[in-house]
Amino acid sequence: MSDMLNIALPKGRLGDKVYALFEKAGFGCPEVLEGGRKLIFESPDTGVRYFFVKPSDVAIYVERGAADVGVAGKDILLEYTPDVYELLDLGLGKCRMCVCGRPGLRDDQRRTLRVATKFSKIARDYYARLGRSVDLIHLNGSIELAPLLGLSDVIVDIVETGATLRENGLEVQGEVCPISARLIANKVSYKFNYPAVTALAARVREICEDAK
Amino acid sequence: MESTFSAPGADGVFMKLRDIYRSWGYARYRMGKFEEYDLYAKNRSFITGSSILTFTDTDGRLMALKPDVTLSVIKNTSPAGSLQKLYYCESVYRAADAFSGFSEIQQAGLECLGNLDLYNMAEVVSLAAMSLGAISGRFVLDLAHLGLIGGFLEDAGVPEEAREEFTRLAEEKNSHEAAALSEKLNLPAETARVFQELIHLRAPLEEGVRKLSALPLGPSAASALSELARLAIALRGVEGIWLDLSLRADPRYYNGVVMRGFIPGVPTAVLSGGRYDGLVRRLGRDAGAMGFAIYLNLLDRLLPEGREFDADLLILDDGSDPSALLKKVRALTASGVTVRVDFAAPEGMRFRRTARFTGGELRE
Repeated sequence: MSDMLNIALPKGRLGDKVYALFEKAGFGCPEVLEGGRKLIFESPDTGVRYFFVKPSDVAIYVERGAADVGVAGKDILLEYTPDVYELLDLGLGKCRMCVCGRPGLRDDQRRTLRVATKFSKIARDYYARLGRSVDLIHLNGSIELAPLLGLSDVIVDIVETGATLRENGLEVQGEVCPISARLIANKVSYKFNYPAVTALAARVREICEDAK
Repeated sequence: MESTFSAPGADGVFMKLRDIYRSWGYARYRMGKFEEYDLYAKNRSFITGSSILTFTDTDGRLMALKPDVTLSVIKNTSPAGSLQKLYYCESVYRAADAFSGFSEIQQAGLECLGNLDLYNMAEVVSLAAMSLGAISGRFVLDLAHLGLIGGFLEDAGVPEEAREEFTRLAEEKNSHEAAALSEKLNLPAETARVFQELIHLRAPLEEGVRKLSALPLGPSAASALSELARLAIALRGVEGIWLDLSLRADPRYYNGVVMRGFIPGVPTAVLSGGRYDGLVRRLGRDAGAMGFAIYLNLLDRLLPEGREFDADLLILDDGSDPSALLKKVRALTASGVTVRVDFAAPEGMRFRRTARFTGGELRE
C-alpha cells in the first residue's frame, strides 16, 4: 500500500466537505461518491487512497503511519497531542471550545470549580493557565446534562451554533480556543513521500485561499 | 509488563551495528540493570515523558530499573584526558504514558565523551547514518542545530515566554498558527516570513545550509549556522543526511546538533541523538558529549508477516520405537529439514507435511 498516498478522513458531514475540497484540489476518487459499504476507496489516476474513520481516530491512524495524511479537528489534536505535523488550517468545521453554564452563575473562588467535559486535557490546561483549582469530571456524552443535574458547575465543550445550549437553558461563559479542521501528516511519511505530501498540501492550500 | 527483548531481528541488527562500531574503535559498554533512583530524579525530563520502575533495596536505598543508558554511561565513565568512545546494547525499562504498562525496550547506541572537535562530531553523525543504512537500504537522517531556531527567536527579540510556543509550532511545521502568533505579538513581517522559511526548510544537508545562508539571520543564529556549515563540509560524501529544523530537544541537556533517524515502515524515529554537553555538565563533568540511541524494539515492524509453516514436517509418534524415531529425526534435521515430533497435531501450528511414525517406519 506504499505507492499511493493514504488519506484518513473523518466520517460524517465534515468528511464530506473535506473530500469535496480535496476533489477540487485534483485528488478526486470517483468510488467515494458511489456510497455502499466499502471502507477503502482508491483512485490510481490521482494516486490517492481514502478511508473514512471516526473523527477522533484520524490522528491515531496518521500518527501510527496507517495513513500518510489526514484531517482532524483541532479539538482532537489539542486533547490527544499526537506526534504529527500540522500542515494547514482548512478553515472547515469552524466552532469554538467554550466554558458553558447556567445563566447568572457566579464563580465562587473559595470553592473548587466542578467542570464536566469530554476534553479533559484541554480543560485541565485551560484552568491551569488561569491558576484555577478544578474538579474535572470526564464524561463521554450529553455533557449539557451535567450542570442541569448539579453534577458540575460548568462544562467545557464544543459550541457550533449554541442552539443545544439555548434549548437546555445554558450559555457560553468563556472561550477556550477556536476549533477548525487541520491537515496533518505522519512525520515519517512526510519525509519519505515529501514531494507528494507537500504537493497535496500546497494544492489544498490554494483552493482554501481561493475560497476565502 | 510487556517484554520486547526478544524482538526477532533485533539481535541480527545489533550484530551488524556492533561490527560497525568496533571497526571505528568503539568499546562495548555493559551496565547492570539497577541504578540509584536519585540519578533519574535529578534529570527526570531527560528521560522524556516516561515513568520509572522503582524498588527499595535490602539496605533501604530507593533503586530504579534503568530507564536510560546515557545517564549511566556519563556517571560511570571518566572522560578526563582521552576520549571515551563506547557502544552498547542494553535493555531499559519505561512506561511511555499513563495508559501503557512498563516495557522492556532493547536499545543500541553509542556515546563519544570528552573534548570533542569537529571530526568527532562528524564521526558520530556518520556512524548514525551508517547504522540506519545497516538496518534499511532506505533511510533518512534528519539534522538540526538547536541554536538556529533558538538563536533566531532570541535575535528577533521574541519575548522569552513566547519562544517555547514558537519552538513547539516549528516542531509541528505549523505555519498558520505561527503566523497568527507573530501577528498577535506584532513581530515585524520580515521576522514572521523568515520564521516560516525556517520551519518549512527541508533539504539535503549542504543544500539546506546554502538556503539558510541566504536568509537574514542575527548573530546567534548565524553562529549556529557557521558550526552547521563546517559540519556539512566535513560530512561531504555521507548520504542520506537532511536538514530539518523541526527537530526539538530539551535545551537544558542538548546543545548544538541534534538528529533523528527514520526508515520506511516504522512510523516514528528509530534513532535519536545529538550533542548533550548540558547533561554532562549537570552531572558535574567538564566535558563534551555526543551520541545516539537506536530503538531496536521498533524494528520488528520490518519483519515479514508470519511464517507460512512452523516446521517442514510433523511426525505423529505412536511411541513404539523411540530409538529409531530419534535416529530418523537426527538424520532429517541434519539434512536441513525442520521437524516437530508430537502425539497429535498441535493446535494453531502449521506444517508443510505430516507423517506417522509407526512400527519403526515413517509413513507420509
